[in-house]
Amino acid sequence: MVATLAATWRHPARRRRLLMILSGLLILAALGARHLLQQDGWHDPFMAAAALLAGGDIAVRAWHSLRNRHVSIELLVTIAAGGALLIGEVWEAAAVTFLFLLGAYLEARTLDRTRQVLQGLLELAPATATVVRDGQQVEVAPYEVLPDEIVLVKPGSKVPVDGIVVGGRSAVDESAITGEPLPVEKSTGDELFAGTVNQAGLLRLRATGIGADTTLARIIRRVEEAQEEKAPVQRFIERFARWYTPFIIGLSGVAFLLTRDVELALTLLVIGCPGALVISTPVSVVAGIGRAAQRGILIKGGDYLENAGKISALALDKTGTLTAGRPRVTDVVALAPVPVAEMAAVPAGGSGRALEPSNGDSRWSAQEQDVLRWAAIAEAGSEHPLAASIVEAAGDLPGLSDADHFETFTGQGVIAGYGGQTIAVGTPALLERLEIRATQRAETERQRLQDEGKTAVLVSVGREVIGVLGIADTVRPDAAEMVRRLRASGVKEIAMLTGDNRRTAEAIAHQTGITNVHAGLLPEEKLEAIRRLQSKGHVVAMVGDGINDAPALAAADIGIAMGAAGTDIALETADVALMSDDLLKLPEAISLSHATLRNIHQNVAIALATVGLLLAGVLLGEVHMAGGMLVHEASVLVVILNGMRLLRA
Amino acid sequence: MKTLLRSRELSCPSCVVKIEKALQNVPGVESATVHFNTGRIEVEHDPAQTGVSRLVEAVRAAGYEAEPSAF
Repeated sequence: MVATLAATWRHPARRRRLLMILSGLLILAALGARHLLQQDGWHDPFMAAAALLAGGDIAVRAWHSLRNRHVSIELLVTIAAGGALLIGEVWEAAAVTFLFLLGAYLEARTLDRTRQVLQGLLELAPATATVVRDGQQVEVAPYEVLPDEIVLVKPGSKVPVDGIVVGGRSAVDESAITGEPLPVEKSTGDELFAGTVNQAGLLRLRATGIGADTTLARIIRRVEEAQEEKAPVQRFIERFARWYTPFIIGLSGVAFLLTRDVELALTLLVIGCPGALVISTPVSVVAGIGRAAQRGILIKGGDYLENAGKISALALDKTGTLTAGRPRVTDVVALAPVPVAEMAAVPAGGSGRALEPSNGDSRWSAQEQDVLRWAAIAEAGSEHPLAASIVEAAGDLPGLSDADHFETFTGQGVIAGYGGQTIAVGTPALLERLEIRATQRAETERQRLQDEGKTAVLVSVGREVIGVLGIADTVRPDAAEMVRRLRASGVKEIAMLTGDNRRTAEAIAHQTGITNVHAGLLPEEKLEAIRRLQSKGHVVAMVGDGINDAPALAAADIGIAMGAAGTDIALETADVALMSDDLLKLPEAISLSHATLRNIHQNVAIALATVGLLLAGVLLGEVHMAGGMLVHEASVLVVILNGMRLLRA
Repeated sequence: MKTLLRSRELSCPSCVVKIEKALQNVPGVESATVHFNTGRIEVEHDPAQTGVSRLVEAVRAAGYEAEPSAF
């Protein structure tokens, strides 16, 4: 019992809580004595005891600060409460000191919850790692893992270091890093992040980043730096707050000299702490940036948060942002069936009947599958990106095989031999080499596909053009939804900047709902496009991959990097980094910034109004000590609770 | 040496100066920075003269509990 009490006493927060409860009970006892028991004689001693209990701790802290040559808020409260006791206002003294402790307690509790988000990130780091040393499994602390060492991650446990998978296969929950709720499949060659959770199988990984060198540690560092960096509003408020307290102390002195009213002078001291004012901005910034981090959105700091909240125009790169960034077969046109004699060359697909492909890509008819199959056989050995898209589209159609021999003609295509047949896949010029003339229909289809912004490829078997393939970089499925949500969150102008040709760019713009298209741009022209938007009075955000967009990203008011997990450059340089590659994070980041900025403005308004009303109330004699302290502490709590709304945004 | 402490009890930015001054008045402490927004306390000190526990003690004397943290 004594030991617990002593421990409580040594712990400042627990001691204050104990004193707060005792002082509250004494106040209740005093009120009860007067109003219920009609024992007026007990009232004052109980109240005085309550004031001394709560005020004692405040006075000790005030004294401690004074010895360090610092005039603290505690000193003002001590003088006010002490003065109130001297002039016999025991109720005021008790109420002021009790409310001061209660307010600080509630504020610490609620603020802690806004800081919790980061606490959660810190706790993601596991306590131990299992490494393989000399063929033995050894448990070590995560920071003791050596670079390139093999680490085992068991199912259900957290990944202790950053690394590359060298064995095993599993689903990994990366939500802590990317904000994505769905687990990601990981197998040999994939990157793993410390702090993610292995959900299914045993994974072996080679350590690449340890301790402070992990993506998780970098995120924590960045989020903290961001939260600590002061927004312009905060710097302004702090300048205001710096002279507010001395001003109130001076005012209190002047008021006493003019009116000889001790209580008025003491009441002014009570409201001398600019509490709600100084806390209004930090609480919103911490909550907003913390919430964003939780959702896989890293905002570099208060400055950027304010800017992001004002974004009115957004420029995006096409490739890799609006589109998947790699070509895919979008159209297969079958023109003529492959002659039966020639079909014999294909061992498994020889009937011409529709064969259900096992990869589920049944959107192609049997004839179209034939076109794909022949094209894929010819392209199987080629390393051209377009070839890869054809092989991928063919998937595991039956009857696929490697060509017997093939030759690549740069800029034209591929001519291959297979089972005695000659296959050509490419441009009309390529077919000319074999003296094959594309039919009128083939030419029409080719033209149509090109008009749609696609790359058109002719496929011939023997002497016959059997089909045309359309290949394009496809629009990502949620690109149109992203554009819609960006508009809904107040972005007026959305511009596509691309180095690609106008026809392709227009096609993508049409599919996503973007009207402002700048095509065929060099990197420095992208920068000019940003400048033009800015000269129209827009606050411009630029979304890009950070390398070839670097000048434009730097020129924009806010540079946003996507898919930043694992790429340090993006993490370090971007003003806003989206950890995952999810397009919908973009409107989310912007609306969260809007919400945070709104929240800051609300809080500053609440705080200024409170200070003004309190000051007026005190000077007019309407507000007394206890009431002043109550309003003051209540306003601080209101501001904190308002900021906490962002945690659920 | 740089030591990082974390406190979960900072309730009003006025405590920032209070804790900073309390730490700076400990012998062997070169500089102390308190970040109110995150509750992080960075102390630059001479470990031969002042150990980490002495820093925690100084913060406690100012009225707040803090713990050393790796990062």
